Amino acid sequence: MTEEITTTSGGEAAIRIRNLEVELGGTRVLTGVNAAIMKGEITALIGPNGAGKTTLLLAMLGLIHYKGKIDYLTSNGRPMIGYVPQYLDFDRGIPITVMDFLCMWRQRLPVWISHSRVQRRRALEALEWVEAAHVSGRVLGALSGGELQRVLLAMALLDEPEIIFLDEPASAVDRHGEEIFMRLIGRINRERGITILIVSHDISMVTRIARQVICLNRQVLSEGKTAEILNENTLAACFGPDKGLLLHDHHWDGEVHCAQSPDSSPEGRETD
Amino acid sequence: MEHVYSVMDLLLPFAWAEPFFMKRALLAVLLVAPVCAAMGVMVVNFRMAFFSDAISHSAFTGVALGILLGVDPRFTLIIFGALVGLGIMAIRGRSSLSVDTIIGVFLSFSVALGIVVVSAKKGLTRDLHAYLFGDVFAVSPSELGLMLILAVVCAAFLVVFFNDLFLIGVNERVAKAHGVNVKALQYFYALLLALVVTFTIRVIGLLLVTAMLVVPAATGRNLARSVRTMFWSAILVGSLSGIAGLVTSFYVKGAVGGGTIILIACLLFMISQLYATVRN
Repeated sequence: MTEEITTTSGGEAAIRIRNLEVELGGTRVLTGVNAAIMKGEITALIGPNGAGKTTLLLAMLGLIHYKGKIDYLTSNGRPMIGYVPQYLDFDRGIPITVMDFLCMWRQRLPVWISHSRVQRRRALEALEWVEAAHVSGRVLGALSGGELQRVLLAMALLDEPEIIFLDEPASAVDRHGEEIFMRLIGRINRERGITILIVSHDISMVTRIARQVICLNRQVLSEGKTAEILNENTLAACFGPDKGLLLHDHHWDGEVHCAQSPDSSPEGRETD
Repeated sequence: MEHVYSVMDLLLPFAWAEPFFMKRALLAVLLVAPVCAAMGVMVVNFRMAFFSDAISHSAFTGVALGILLGVDPRFTLIIFGALVGLGIMAIRGRSSLSVDTIIGVFLSFSVALGIVVVSAKKGLTRDLHAYLFGDVFAVSPSELGLMLILAVVCAAFLVVFFNDLFLIGVNERVAKAHGVNVKALQYFYALLLALVVTFTIRVIGLLLVTAMLVVPAATGRNLARSVRTMFWSAILVGSLSGIAGLVTSFYVKGAVGGGTIILIACLLFMISQLYATVRN
């Protein structure tokens, strides 16, 4: 049965994390983490380097051992989760096309025989969602950083996920590529109702795209609506002495101009 | 086997195909070369050449141990090769050392053990000769049967698990997140690769077995622009090299089967490299 949990933000949670602890190589990376990922929203997970953001993501994906509880409060138990890694570390000389890559995820028929017609169509649809249908025949290793991130987003969409986790998706992308990517994220969230959790330490991006924010530094320091949470004090608590550099680097003016109302879309903001 | 030989006589009305040893050699090459090429696609893309090298060199110890213990060396060869392969995989998952270092340790251990065993018993070097260089013309019908079984198992594996295995090679974490059982598949592949290597030693010799895996697949990679073309190009190059090497060694006095096969494969690789350089 689906349990509805109302959070401090007033919405319904898709994932509820309770007392989560993760130890890696004898070091406690996360301790006493309590947080909620809001259903149908874009939530940003922010924090300095080494705060445990990716670790929390991996725990939620079930890829690392953890103590505590992660409840998925979606329609049928553990939902289908799409995952877009920070970057795809692979041998760029492998002769694998984008279509090979996308079909491999979903079809049992080995791609050395053929691409299944159904999967080919679905892959093209996913590529169209991320405005990358033109790269379907290109070799994966020949794509730019931005194109590759969009292909990874298309891969995540193939599973028809209820939730997508994005791990610093724009870290290896230029400014223009980041703009496109963020617009696509906003559109996917809005038009497909997919819950999105985005790991980032880019405050300017967070303020533009996320309605919810979780500040993490080994434990949750604050969480809630972006407009209420992101201020000088919370950022100082979260990022410490790095805060000045962070704000300077990302041209944050100290004011929150974020996606705070349902009407304000990232798409709209970027085209302003 | 008589029926198979009759069919071969009909299909191959050439002088080189007449002797029975050539028929058996051709069948062995046609079973082993495509399997090596197909498995080699993973070896090349996922930089596992050193892994297959370690297994092939462990065969030296496997054979020596078999002779020393009075057990059929073909049996100990396979068991020892598989153990080395699984051992590397097990330590790799539990160590912070690089894979190359772990393989290097296993390679050193197995070769050192082989040297100790060989030096412990006089006359062993003579028996090892056939395994060092292989002898494609001495393959027996029972060995052909085992090669056929291995080829069928590998083909089934590559039909069922190719996509998942390839995705693991592209990015392990993403494959895990997608629900692929990464560890189980890696072990299964390592075991199968160990078996392929040990069976191929009979044909090509342990000194050249890695070449049989790597060279056709590397040629395929140079020629290809997609996974499918790489896969089939590798199989074509492997099979062509095998047949051409056999025929050449039949007509050219002193040309050893295994060595000739690899030389022709290397020639094809060089042509493909030239093509890739011009294309890029």
